[in-house]
Amino acid sequence: MSHKAKRRSRIIILAMLAALGFLIVAATAIGSVNVPLAETFNIILKQFGITQGEYPNERIIIYVRLPRVILAAIVGAALSMSGVVMQGMFRNPMADPGILGVSSGAGVGAVTAIALGLTIRSIFFLPLFSSVGSLVAAFIIFVLSARDGKISVVNLVLCGMAVSMFLGSLTTMILSFFRSDHVKQFILWTSGSLSNTMWEDVRLIIIPVAICGLAFMFLSKELNVMLLGEEEAQSVGLNIGRTRKLLLALTSIITASAVSVSGTISFVGLIVPHMLRIIVGPDHRTLLPASAVGGAVFLVFCDLVGRTVIPMHEINVGVVTSLLGAPYFIYLLNRARKYGKIF
Amino acid sequence: MAEVFVLKVENLKITLNDTEIIRGIDLTVNKGEFVGIIGPNGAGKTTLLKSLNGIYRGSGDIFINGAHIRNMGTREIARNVSLMHQNTEITFPFTALEVVMTGRYPYLKGIRGETARDYAIARRYMEYTGISKLEDKPVTQMSGGERQRVLFAKTLAQEAGIILLDEPASNLDIAYAEQIFRLSESLCREGKTVIAAVHDLKIAARYCTRLVLMKDGLVVADGAPSEVITADNLSRAYNVRAIVYKNRITGELDYYLQQPMKKNGTYKVHVIGGGGSASGIIRFLADRGCEISGGVFPHGDSDLNCAEIFGAETVSCKPFMEIDDESYSRNVALIREASMTILCNMPFGRLNIRNLEAAAHATRLVIIEDDRPETRDYTNGEALKLYNTLKGNAITITSAQLHEIL
Repeated sequence: MSHKAKRRSRIIILAMLAALGFLIVAATAIGSVNVPLAETFNIILKQFGITQGEYPNERIIIYVRLPRVILAAIVGAALSMSGVVMQGMFRNPMADPGILGVSSGAGVGAVTAIALGLTIRSIFFLPLFSSVGSLVAAFIIFVLSARDGKISVVNLVLCGMAVSMFLGSLTTMILSFFRSDHVKQFILWTSGSLSNTMWEDVRLIIIPVAICGLAFMFLSKELNVMLLGEEEAQSVGLNIGRTRKLLLALTSIITASAVSVSGTISFVGLIVPHMLRIIVGPDHRTLLPASAVGGAVFLVFCDLVGRTVIPMHEINVGVVTSLLGAPYFIYLLNRARKYGKIF
Repeated sequence: MAEVFVLKVENLKITLNDTEIIRGIDLTVNKGEFVGIIGPNGAGKTTLLKSLNGIYRGSGDIFINGAHIRNMGTREIARNVSLMHQNTEITFPFTALEVVMTGRYPYLKGIRGETARDYAIARRYMEYTGISKLEDKPVTQMSGGERQRVLFAKTLAQEAGIILLDEPASNLDIAYAEQIFRLSESLCREGKTVIAAVHDLKIAARYCTRLVLMKDGLVVADGAPSEVITADNLSRAYNVRAIVYKNRITGELDYYLQQPMKKNGTYKVHVIGGGGSASGIIRFLADRGCEISGGVFPHGDSDLNCAEIFGAETVSCKPFMEIDDESYSRNVALIREASMTILCNMPFGRLNIRNLEAAAHATRLVIIEDDRPETRDYTNGEALKLYNTLKGNAITITSAQLHEIL
């Protein structure tokens, strides 16, 4: 990458980080009770010991809004990084974290946790079961699509679809035994929601997301090379089998983490990498950090919209991302149809 | 020159999708050789190349610079062997420089990115392949030829001693196709070894020092181009009827594919010509599977060359001299044996006038008259008199009408 382009990307990422910072404060301030920005800012700084004093809205900010906004940022970053890696691995700009059936695995796990009544006992059970569910699903898909130790991308996608459909039916079947309030809980979860977020949720996923995110960035070179094609990548010395397994495991973990606390949120992993690839280019060394920040910005924004656009009513964040994402997706498809390609 | 082998293959067998594609190949390649792998579609050329850099694994042994391929990691193999694939699709808008830089991957250590030296190497090979100006252009906006040259630069940037090319000229126009072979040839002179799977036999014969002909997963012939490209080998490998000859004008090995044989029974035809008038006729007859004889041609005549290439029985005489008695008699004998004799649209002079006399002995005479005989007579009327006598007992046609006779 030329020096000019590198510098430009760096500036863009820094600008987005600044925007994220501002957005987090704003999103924390705005809501059913509008807290003045200055007060919000001071409350946040108090947590770092920079300011002191008594603030009337401290409890709302610290225990309700801030964890939710921070979680939105983390989930947004996780989903978009996962999207970048999926698109790189499948060499298809339309790939999305849901493609591996990870979401459906998480669904079965979640439904099982709810059915067993474990969610009342501790909030850890839902994320735990859905993580296990998505990892198991990813493993099954992986094993099914491997032949002679090699996995063709087509096989992976087809197996992912088949397993998704099977697990989806399984989920529906378990649902039919549910009590109505359990069903409601599940529906809330599947449409992707950040309500009732607590700091425990943030603590639960921040480490796995950070580790996987960093691991992705260390594998940027490998991701770049993989875009040439699998055999071509091997011809320049990439151990494709090992790298692919590693990437799939990391993606499963990072997606499962996100899905386990917020349910299935669509389109983030598709739109954000796509838009940023147009802005900063396809080199993963800049695309990954840019997408992480971009995803965080996007999801915090969508959550804010969901909370505020209709007064006294909350639209789930997953609904907002779909409403924004689907039209953009159609625009992409249309572009591909007209010009024969997306770029 | 001491021969150092860089690549040794012993009894290689590769099975893909339950089909045995490579059925037992032995191959030794020495440093500096430019090897062309030729053969029909499905012979296993691409499979062989992909086995040489470890993408396909089978049974048998492959030694790269003395080390067994099984003991080498993917990075180590990539530092010794590079492969340019036949059709690489890049759907993401990487720039040319970024693509060429991926060729430096086997040398990158740990988390550290590419160094200035890597960039310098990449740029050097981009200049070598003439794509320096395209450095910042996204490959998705390039023509097939430009992309191919970017991929070639990337292959070279790997700086491997053994370079494998799979149909390197498939997307290139004639100019760039020649260029890639010329570049490969000069790389071999600098000490690299190039093994290329090629479809175009002529370009392979021209640039490669050695050809390996494959069919059905086995090596059918291996040696210098003139040893491998023979009518026999072409017929065995490609199932065609071909003649192979040295093109006297270009000095290159050339071949001509004949029409499949029509079940005609052997029809003997004798051709009288010279000075280029008979070549088209001879080719036409050969395509129809006739048994051809011709004469009397002077040595060095292009029609004589043509007749010899097509395997005709010929009578030739010393050049720039009148036809001698022995040649004349042999010519007449052949004319008598033939079912038909064709007198071509040739010039008549004192040196070949006896050919007209011989034509009188024909069982069935066909005269090709494209130009008026008066314009071709250099004997002050003597040849013209003989000619008109012959016309009385012959069919006179133009060369375009020949297919009506046969």
